[in-house]
Amino acid sequence: MEQVGLAAVSEVSLWSLFIQAGFVVKLVMVGLLAASVWTWAIVVNKWMVFNKARRQFDQFEQVFWSGQSLEELYRTLSERSPGGMGAIFVSAMREWKKSFERGARSPIGLQMRIDRAMDVTLARESEGFEAKLSSLATIGSAAPFVGLFGTVVGIMTSFQSIAGSKSTNLAVVAPGIAEALLATAIGLVAAIPAVIAYNKFSGDAAKLNARMEAFADEFSAILSRQIDEKLQPRQAAQ
Amino acid sequence: MKGSLLTSTAIHAIVLALALYSFGAPPAFEVQDVESLPVDIVPIEDMTRIMEGEKKATAKETPAPTPTKRPDIVPDAQNTGENSVDLKKTPVPTKSPKEVEIAAAPEKVESPVPKNADKANDIKDIIKDSAESAPATEVAAKPEPKRDVKPDPVPEAKAEQTAKAEDIPLPDAVPLPSSRPDQPKPEPEQKQAKNETAAAQAATAKTPERKKEQPKKESAKSTASKESDVLADEVAALLNKQDPAGGGAKRSTKEESLGGSKASNASKLSQSELDALRGAIQKNWSVVSGMADAGEIRIQVKMKLDRSGEIVGDPEVTATGGSAQARDVLASSARRAVLRSAPFSNLPADKYDAWSEVIVNFDPSELML
Repeated sequence: MEQVGLAAVSEVSLWSLFIQAGFVVKLVMVGLLAASVWTWAIVVNKWMVFNKARRQFDQFEQVFWSGQSLEELYRTLSERSPGGMGAIFVSAMREWKKSFERGARSPIGLQMRIDRAMDVTLARESEGFEAKLSSLATIGSAAPFVGLFGTVVGIMTSFQSIAGSKSTNLAVVAPGIAEALLATAIGLVAAIPAVIAYNKFSGDAAKLNARMEAFADEFSAILSRQIDEKLQPRQAAQ
Repeated sequence: MKGSLLTSTAIHAIVLALALYSFGAPPAFEVQDVESLPVDIVPIEDMTRIMEGEKKATAKETPAPTPTKRPDIVPDAQNTGENSVDLKKTPVPTKSPKEVEIAAAPEKVESPVPKNADKANDIKDIIKDSAESAPATEVAAKPEPKRDVKPDPVPEAKAEQTAKAEDIPLPDAVPLPSSRPDQPKPEPEQKQAKNETAAAQAATAKTPERKKEQPKKESAKSTASKESDVLADEVAALLNKQDPAGGGAKRSTKEESLGGSKASNASKLSQSELDALRGAIQKNWSVVSGMADAGEIRIQVKMKLDRSGEIVGDPEVTATGGSAQARDVLASSARRAVLRSAPFSNLPADKYDAWSEVIVNFDPSELML
């Protein structure tokens, strides 16, 4: 561990505190700063993604329930390769089309395939929503401890400097402790937004997933009705 | 994601810049110079112990004896005074107007009927008078007439006395014993007289003194009694000093204030020293267990210790409370404990006066000192 010459120090500005800190404490501070940057990057990203997804869902639902023909909707959407509900709709329609182009035999098999296709897309989409939320959780829970670690190391150093200078003068101890506490402060600065963001975005992601699942179920029901309608005349004709 | 990372970095850069700006070096915490309060830790003995001072002076914070005039310092002096040699005797006032009057009053001397018993007193008076009148010459330089008056009655009185003393039978024995007390008496007187008169006006009353001396010698010769020997010692004690003022040689510079005539230097054992003594005895004390009323018995052992910590004589053991049998058993166990713990070698030698006599209280439920 580095011995930091604290005895002669009277400068206690934020920057000088950082510069005076020992190697380990510096590392902890830099790491926590990076974690904070990453947290906020995720927060910004998720906020934008979720807003966009919510807007898309609204638009899609509006279009979907507007009475427009599903074929037409599929044609327009498949060109844009959308996310969320649109993706589920496109995957289901693709499966439907493929099955009818080759001439579906069993309505139950077709129904099952469409459901699978929708499930896969739903899983992929919800994975996209929940991506990186786990790192928010990790930062939120670990950053205070990392900061505390930096504090403990810093206080150890300042006690060593007490032993070294053989003086318990507050001027000897105070900069070391201030520097050590800075590590905890940065840890908390990183952790608090991370925890709040994690709670908010995991809730949002769950809501979006529920919306997609509801749509998938609904669309599955619609398609099931369509299958029955389309296959029944054929069977009757045979 | 790249965009949001950039955004986040930008936000952090801004926040850090603001923090560095606003959390810059805080203003130095200026503390006004406060007059530091000196705190002394004073043992209570310093306050309760009698300190040397003047008994009749007004009380002040620190007692001090009457200031001395001489500035020279005598090492290791214990008694306050102006002497150059440290003496225990209290200062005798060298000058007082009263003495002059006594010397000037001849009626007193004349009136007593010369008897054997009175003679000793007379001589004492005369001697005192002469001792005191000697300094009187030094002081009372102004009342010249008095000097003239004085010598006349005194020799007369003495002449009468001597005359009467000669009437007493056994005059033969006179010269032999008188020679002894005779010698020390006049010599210091003469010395004194010479010293002081030399210091004062040399011209005053040289003749009267000589006149005085002679009758005194005569009277001393005439009184052949052993009492005069005793008196002679006293007188010698009074006169045999270099300076009749007497007193010690310790100088005092402070203003006089209330206090004892001598500082008491009684020392006290500290708690840890008491504990050491207690522990030494406790180690050797085996309480006989199984006695019903042992807890009610209190034993007190008084012992005297010499400087090496050995018990001098026999420790005095007193036990109270409980049954007689239990008392005897515990008293002897306490006695054994004390005897076995001797010598108490770990007591501080410089505080011997504090532990020269020790009283140990034994409490069978708890050993106490």
